[in-house]
Amino acid sequence: MANLKDIRDRIKSVRSIQKVTKAMKMVAAAKMRRAQERMEQARPYTNRLVDVIHHLLPDVDRSLLPLLDIRPIQRVGYVIVASDRGLAGSFNTNVFKNVEIEINQIGKENVDLFCIGKKARDHFTRRGYTIIESHLEFWNDLDFHHAIKIGENIINHFVSKKVDEIHVCYNEFVNVATQTIQSEQLLPLDYKHEDSSTVFDRLYEPSKKELTKSLIPRHLNVQMWKYLLESYASEQAARMVAMENATENAEDMIKNLTLEFNKARQASITKEMLEIVGGAEALK
Amino acid sequence: MSHFNLDIVTPTQDLDEIEVDYLRCPGIDGSFGIMANHQDGVFSLDIGEIMIQSKSDTKFYSISGGFAEINNNEVCLLVETIELSSDIDISRAESAFQRANERKNNSNEEDFDEVRLKTALSRALNRLQVAKR
Repeated sequence: MANLKDIRDRIKSVRSIQKVTKAMKMVAAAKMRRAQERMEQARPYTNRLVDVIHHLLPDVDRSLLPLLDIRPIQRVGYVIVASDRGLAGSFNTNVFKNVEIEINQIGKENVDLFCIGKKARDHFTRRGYTIIESHLEFWNDLDFHHAIKIGENIINHFVSKKVDEIHVCYNEFVNVATQTIQSEQLLPLDYKHEDSSTVFDRLYEPSKKELTKSLIPRHLNVQMWKYLLESYASEQAARMVAMENATENAEDMIKNLTLEFNKARQASITKEMLEIVGGAEALK
Repeated sequence: MSHFNLDIVTPTQDLDEIEVDYLRCPGIDGSFGIMANHQDGVFSLDIGEIMIQSKSDTKFYSISGGFAEINNNEVCLLVETIELSSDIDISRAESAFQRANERKNNSNEEDFDEVRLKTALSRALNRLQVAKR
């Protein structure tokens, strides 16, 4: 049986780790609440804009805008939205796994990556992927301008014909306990064919073409913003759950160790008593 | 006077729906007004001032471009930013104006972006103007 001091030291270290995980859980919970709020505020705008675009696009010629251009696919760009920090359960690994499966279908050498978050950059650099750009350490003061900045280069990469398609892979926030991996095609813009119920008697000012030209870049910015917000909220939720589990596990460990400790203590007392009794017996 | 519902949505906030009698927006080709039962449509908005007249009061806001959509007598403004005239941070707008002017003076620099400068200038000027309301 392990010696008493060793067990006592282990209990102490587990307890201090538990304090850390507990604190991390609280921080993640607070951050998540804020992120969730922002995400919910952004959703109406995104949805409305998508509605307007779906009204407009079916009548617009694809050759009008380079962003609508459908080309034969030779190279594909992937945008991977992950996090800067770990300790968030399977938050990052799930995204990576999903992206790798998709990339394997096209071939590693035909893919350009845009990594958002340190973990994504580290993971894909180590495995020798072509990384065009990575964006790190902005999550703490996440702002709409970040989305615009990140989106700008990605869009340029597509417009300059370096890639023929852009996909985005991110964690979608469903609720605190579940985040699902989403993989969407960002460019060229895809839209469902409108049903015939569309109202044709509508005014467009300026022309439909002009409207589309100014709407689509905005739409892409907003999409990017949505991805960032969803991913950030998911990250915090995943971390919160992971840390909650860690705290519980630490509790279990402490319980088991305490039991072991008491057993060991009892054994040593018994042993001592036996020695005393044996000694007294010998003196008789 | 008959009225209509106005919903203002930005990427960072969703303002409460309000009942409005008259709405004036800065269109790309000049400002236009919307009253109840307007024909459906989508309109591009420029940087400028919007005026909202409701039963109780008239309010002025500054916006930095966006879209207005009219659907079944409901108007939705999709704008990037919106500020009530009294909420505008004047000192911030002034410093933005100065920064833009400095950039204008250094216009021979390599990464000079004229479009960006012009929008920055008009945004700052618009904020200052609306703030005077």
